[in-house]
Amino acid sequence: MLLEVTNLNAGYGYLQILRDVSLHINKGEYVGIVGPNGAGKSTFMKTVAGLLSPMSGRVMFNGEDITGLSGSDVSRKGIAFVSEEMNLFVNMTVQENLYMGAYNIKEKKRQNERLEFVFELFPRLAERKKQLAGTMSGGERKMLAIGRGMMSDPSLMLVDEPSFGLAPQLTANVFESLDVLMKNGVTILLVEQNVTKTLAVTHRGYVLENGKIVLEGKSADLAEDSYVRKVFLGV
Amino acid sequence: MSKNMLAGPWFWMRTAPGISIVTAVVVAVIATVQSGPYVLVNVVVTGGMLALVATGLTLMLGVLNIPMFAHGEYFMIGSLTAYYIFTPISAFIMEHPESWLVTFGPIIAILGAMIGGAIAGIISEKLVFGPLRRRSTDNWVMNSFLLTVGVSVLLVNLHQLIFGADFKGIVGYWQGMPVSIADVYISKDRAMAFVISAVIVALFYLFMTYTRTGMAIRAVSQDITGAEIVGIDIEKIVMLTISLACALAAVAGGSLLFMYPSYPTVGLEPLYMAWFVVILSGLGNILGAVAGAFMVALLKVITVEYVGAGWDFVVPSALIMLILIFKPSGIFGSDVRGVLDK
Repeated sequence: MLLEVTNLNAGYGYLQILRDVSLHINKGEYVGIVGPNGAGKSTFMKTVAGLLSPMSGRVMFNGEDITGLSGSDVSRKGIAFVSEEMNLFVNMTVQENLYMGAYNIKEKKRQNERLEFVFELFPRLAERKKQLAGTMSGGERKMLAIGRGMMSDPSLMLVDEPSFGLAPQLTANVFESLDVLMKNGVTILLVEQNVTKTLAVTHRGYVLENGKIVLEGKSADLAEDSYVRKVFLGV
Repeated sequence: MSKNMLAGPWFWMRTAPGISIVTAVVVAVIATVQSGPYVLVNVVVTGGMLALVATGLTLMLGVLNIPMFAHGEYFMIGSLTAYYIFTPISAFIMEHPESWLVTFGPIIAILGAMIGGAIAGIISEKLVFGPLRRRSTDNWVMNSFLLTVGVSVLLVNLHQLIFGADFKGIVGYWQGMPVSIADVYISKDRAMAFVISAVIVALFYLFMTYTRTGMAIRAVSQDITGAEIVGIDIEKIVMLTISLACALAAVAGGSLLFMYPSYPTVGLEPLYMAWFVVILSGLGNILGAVAGAFMVALLKVITVEYVGAGWDFVVPSALIMLILIFKPSGIFGSDVRGVLDK
């Protein structure tokens, strides 16, 4: 088991958002968490990524306890987080942004290998490598954010709302690039509002509602589930 | 700025940086021709020192969002450290005029000032800024501003309490004949002060642009969450930034000890001048801060030359007001968020 979260409680100040969330991801899996606005999906991601410290519970990664570690420590363990706001370095070039993604890799040679790999994955970024990240379009920024996550050669990628604020065509592109990553052997945990799309591409899924996991199972089964269809798909 | 230059020098000359740089150069040339080359020398020496202090301010503001009003006190710490290191050295030189310390003693004193400043910065981070950062979430800018004012008052009075309020100065760092360049005589101290500031600003710029750590500092200034996500240790970078910024001010204080003897409030003038620079050139822009430093120095020297010595704060202040009214982002200020950049 690559990631195992047990009874995680987290929130902001006195406001508790997540209540006893437990989930697990195996190596090489593509797992989705779906749920309505305000269900706590992003809070969950931030807590696992170390940007938010949990109130209680345990997060195990690769057999190591990473509960409560800081964001930079979690990143050093091999978890890449692509946040909803992307958090790019807007006044740096695309290439500089990508190199910053490989901050934990010390050898220049391996950094360049990673850069080659990311440019192969997203040729668009190679074309724009000298451009400032802040001057790129929304879709390109998303690609850059995912590419920056890939630079550290992570064993687990947390992707938060990749379709947020994107036109449908661009959303499709982003999902395609995640597919490519998955085929390259990267384990992905995806959080999305777009339930149909998520359940169509992922292997397994969790449904998060009001900070609790209410359903879990194979994505194909979830897509057929009467509760999911009624609540999220309106059929 | 670089993009505008690509669009042709004529276009660049009509932008705010272009207009102000060209005007500054023209004014400097006219004043030099009219009053003598010493005007230019004064501008260059004062500007170099201001550039050091202003880059430090820029760093504190750009990376940590601290409006630093205690920066002059690190200048003071630098000059005090240099004084206490150089006094025994100069006594030794008097007795052994052939010693290698004649040439390298001053360098030791100035490096000592730099290290002293860096240590003072680390101590302030540990004692005041760090604890505030862990406790305060709202109103960070206001709280940290008030904190720096407090630190300033504390350091000024500590100096007075421990070392007394008298002037602690030296006659000069390097002895010997002034350097002569094209009929202008510049004392060795002044020439070296400029060389030191030029070298340090250049090194600092290269450090920020090309090294991994420099890029990490810029990354933190642009997006702190993003920096944490890619694995940058924020605490370490903050510590490094504060010590760098304080070291820059202290090295200015150290290398200018021959002009500004150390006393409790010696830092006020460089502090105000550096704030003029930062407002003039736009917050958090290293190259802009360097250009702005020379502009403010020019303004100050010209005012002393043509208006009168008592007016050297009035004219820059009036100009700052005009700039705040007409171009609040400063001459080199960009509208893109994420500050520490070209």
